[in-house]
Amino acid sequence: MLRRREVLAAGALALAGLKSQRATAADEVVVGVLYALSGASAQNGVDARRAFETALDVINESHDLDLPAAKGAGLEGLGGAKIRLVIADHQGDPQKGRAEAERLITQDKVVAIVGAYQSSVSATVSAVCERYGVPFVCADSSSPSLSRRNLKYFFRPAANDEMFSAAMFDFMDGLRKQGKAIDSISLFYEDTIYGIDSSNVQRKLANERGYKIAADVKYKSNSPSLTAEVQALKSAGADVLLPTCYTNDAILLTKTMGELGYKPKAIIAQAAGFSEKSVYDAVGDKLQGLISRASFSLDLAAKRPSVGIVNEMFEKRADRDLNDNTSRQFTAMLLLADALNRAGSTDGAKLRAALAATDIPGTRTIMPWKKVVFDAGGQNPDATPVLIQYVGTKFVTVFPESAAVAPAIWPMNA
Amino acid sequence: MTMQALVQVLASGLLTGLIYGLVAVGLSLIFGLMDVVNFAHGEFLMLAVYATFGLVVVSGLDPIVLMPLVAALMFVFGGTVYLGVVRFAMRAKANQGMVQIFATFGLAILLQGVAQYLFTPDYRSLQVSWLGGKTLDLGGVYLPWPQVFGALVSLAAFGGLFLLMTQTDFGRALEATREDQGAVALVGIDRNRIFALGWGLGAALVGLAGAVLTVFYYIHPGVGGAFALIAYVTVALGGFGSVFGALAAGLIVGLVEAATTLVLPPSLKSVGVYALYLLVVLVRPQGLFGRL
Amino acid sequence: MTGTSLIAAPAISPSLDEADRRFAVKRRRSLYVGALVFAGLAALPYAIRDVYLQNVLVLTLLYAALSQSWNILGGYCGQISLGHALYFGIGAYATSILFVNYGVSPWLGLGLGAVLAASVALAIGWPCFRLGGHYFSIATIVIAEAGLLLVQNWDFVGGAMGVQWPFNPDSWATLQFARDKIPYAHLALGLFVATWLVTFVVAESRWGYGWRAVKDDPAAAQSLGVEVFRSKMAAAAISAFFTAVGGGLYASYVSYIDPESVMSFRFSLLFALPAVLGGVGTLWGALVGAAILIPITEISRSYLGGTGNGIDLIFYGGLVMVVAIARPEGVLSLFKRTRAARNEEV
Repeated sequence: MLRRREVLAAGALALAGLKSQRATAADEVVVGVLYALSGASAQNGVDARRAFETALDVINESHDLDLPAAKGAGLEGLGGAKIRLVIADHQGDPQKGRAEAERLITQDKVVAIVGAYQSSVSATVSAVCERYGVPFVCADSSSPSLSRRNLKYFFRPAANDEMFSAAMFDFMDGLRKQGKAIDSISLFYEDTIYGIDSSNVQRKLANERGYKIAADVKYKSNSPSLTAEVQALKSAGADVLLPTCYTNDAILLTKTMGELGYKPKAIIAQAAGFSEKSVYDAVGDKLQGLISRASFSLDLAAKRPSVGIVNEMFEKRADRDLNDNTSRQFTAMLLLADALNRAGSTDGAKLRAALAATDIPGTRTIMPWKKVVFDAGGQNPDATPVLIQYVGTKFVTVFPESAAVAPAIWPMNA
Repeated sequence: MTMQALVQVLASGLLTGLIYGLVAVGLSLIFGLMDVVNFAHGEFLMLAVYATFGLVVVSGLDPIVLMPLVAALMFVFGGTVYLGVVRFAMRAKANQGMVQIFATFGLAILLQGVAQYLFTPDYRSLQVSWLGGKTLDLGGVYLPWPQVFGALVSLAAFGGLFLLMTQTDFGRALEATREDQGAVALVGIDRNRIFALGWGLGAALVGLAGAVLTVFYYIHPGVGGAFALIAYVTVALGGFGSVFGALAAGLIVGLVEAATTLVLPPSLKSVGVYALYLLVVLVRPQGLFGRL
Repeated sequence: MTGTSLIAAPAISPSLDEADRRFAVKRRRSLYVGALVFAGLAALPYAIRDVYLQNVLVLTLLYAALSQSWNILGGYCGQISLGHALYFGIGAYATSILFVNYGVSPWLGLGLGAVLAASVALAIGWPCFRLGGHYFSIATIVIAEAGLLLVQNWDFVGGAMGVQWPFNPDSWATLQFARDKIPYAHLALGLFVATWLVTFVVAESRWGYGWRAVKDDPAAAQSLGVEVFRSKMAAAAISAFFTAVGGGLYASYVSYIDPESVMSFRFSLLFALPAVLGGVGTLWGALVGAAILIPITEISRSYLGGTGNGIDLIFYGGLVMVVAIARPEGVLSLFKRTRAARNEEV
């Protein structure tokens, strides 16, 4: 008899345990995060993780910051529920990205997915999200084609390569008006979706706005040597070099340029590698005066205290400043939290509607954007890109005028 | 393209080619000795790069000075890999070829994981070298000192290897073992010992290449992948097991790769190398200097 | 190997008729076992309700089929190809381009891609079969790598941008199923059954005897009048044909392909690995190998990869290394030995 009662009691306890577990689960909102955590761009995934942890700190704890979802602990619209992340590794493979997205949605019951850096992976992940009716907030893939597929559950708060490249050419047009002679440009881009997309836009803009393309160099990423490629750039001797490459090739390109004595008058980079700390640690001395497009600029901290505070929070975790990528990742998570608050629900369709209705002034983010709204394709058309110039050991915002803190040093070696 | 630019491309091809030769010769040596293709060769290179990096960070010395130490460490590592892994793979009675491929392939992935675990996947670069960033200017043709140095190390290594193979007892024992594995046992040469030393020597050579690379290349767990395929092509082109073949093929690969960029977009520069390789092995299946 | 023991058996047995009879019984028994296993596998996706595990099942069956295709050339014929990613890519691209750009049914695309891949395999085999051992393996790697480079730079097939399949409603005609994994599991199983049956039939045909002779001793095979070259060519064509069908199915399954994601070297290794782990040149090796390897790969990435510290790579690489060394004849040999022992007792 006694035994039976004990068993019953144990059973009741176990049930109670299960129940309490469920209760805590209800106070949690699970968000999926998908990045490459092994392979060539693994560092990006590792940094992204730190950016999201920082965002979670802002959302889940109470902070006096003028940012979406910062006030109060947890998600106000969901009774103070806290966000929990499930991080998965897609290894840069579209198939694995797809499988992991399905796992996050069906097993972990994530309410949304944030990712995925590589545009090719974002393509398959967003398709899965569309099919399951789960929003995909594309933090940092910049291929313009992603927002042209009329997906209902795809949201990209940051600029795409078309907008970034347009800013570069606007900037050069401005210099021309000031009487600077800029006639020719050289394109240097890797043979991936990122490089091709970027170069296609740049080629089109150059032709439209009357810049001669002196060299059009497509190179194989992760090459053992870039000597011949740099030689071609050197021979062409254009006024401006426009490189599109990831960290490893950015380092090798800079080193090789130094070795071959090629000093272009100016470099305007399509970020990626040229916004990574490791590049400047490695070859920063050779990149004085380099200009890169960016979604983010630390100069903003002077105007907006939140920028400096968030950067400090991130720096404590990652031992580096926020950059083009990590700032976008941080912001994507905050925007998602804001939408969750407004939706007051974790239901996919309701969350989607809330995201689509997003309208936040740029001043309430850490980004230099005009505002955050989404068009029919899920693109934020008002994500104003900036151009930043590497001077000394820091980046200085030089474009557009509204954000600039100093005029650009032109040519870069001046 | 001007004459100067042409000379520049070819000179750079030559330097790169000598470094390719140095990366590949260890692979060729091991194959010649015991008919094993090491599919972790690129990861050996990566380990040597990190060994150099680690030693530089700890000691603050120039990578050039540390080169012999890196080679010595890699020698020990190579011997250990033979005794700990390859020796067992060679005992397989069935499918020996495949067992070796997949044992070394598994090792390659394992080493990449270990590197990522120990050093994080961050890209790094060394700047402390005395050679770093210095360039030799020959009338507008630029020869970067790190690469010139690498090429000289490569030539010296090949010279040393030649002497070792022809003038020492160890070299003769190596040669004898690769000629006839069974017969050497009869004259009292311990096959396992020779194989272990051969793996050590092969790893030490790729260790030299790794130390040289740190002066002008970036450091990352995936760094081996960029060089591995070139190394296999170089070895197959020169002939498996031929030391001189690795040198000649390295030079050819470097030059053809550079020359290809004069006619094709740079993203296709390896196509020239692949095409030449296929042409050569179709005419001479054993490679330029290999034996069947 | 199963094959050699089957040939060897009649020589010992007293009467040839008796041997023939026993051989036929054995073959029939293999077929029954096959039918049973396949029926079980066909029912399996209904038992697995979890989408993630269903995905693992689809990949396992697909890699089993691809590895079985590789096995025909690599295992039975002994030509270790490490360039099958080329045929996989041809299948994936032919199916995708024909469907996306020209609206050709993927079913037709699968067939056309397969025929194209088989022709390419013949064109490559004609010069390359002169190469021996490692020279052949390296040549296949280089050719596949050259193919990858060309596709990456070929704008007509999308170059580096890849090919995105349109969003279509679920249909067997377009091979598109938004959430449902079961049809893909059955497609992959169908391909595996096809490769299994082809292996089953051809391995005991004249070509099959040629393959084994080629594998065991090429020189002797030549002098005995085995048509070495033709049997190798046949193996290459069959192997490439089914690999390409697998590539087409993979493309329809993922709905987006780019050169790196269907033609990189790791695919060539992934096709060989299951057969090697399970048992090279055996009927069931590829399936057993895939059933071990693929779930471990997937699950270790999913549940260990999120940390970004490389633990999943250490685990996976170490496992491949240990299994390759510990069981050179493949995992299947474990069962064979016990059965042989049991038979001896009887």
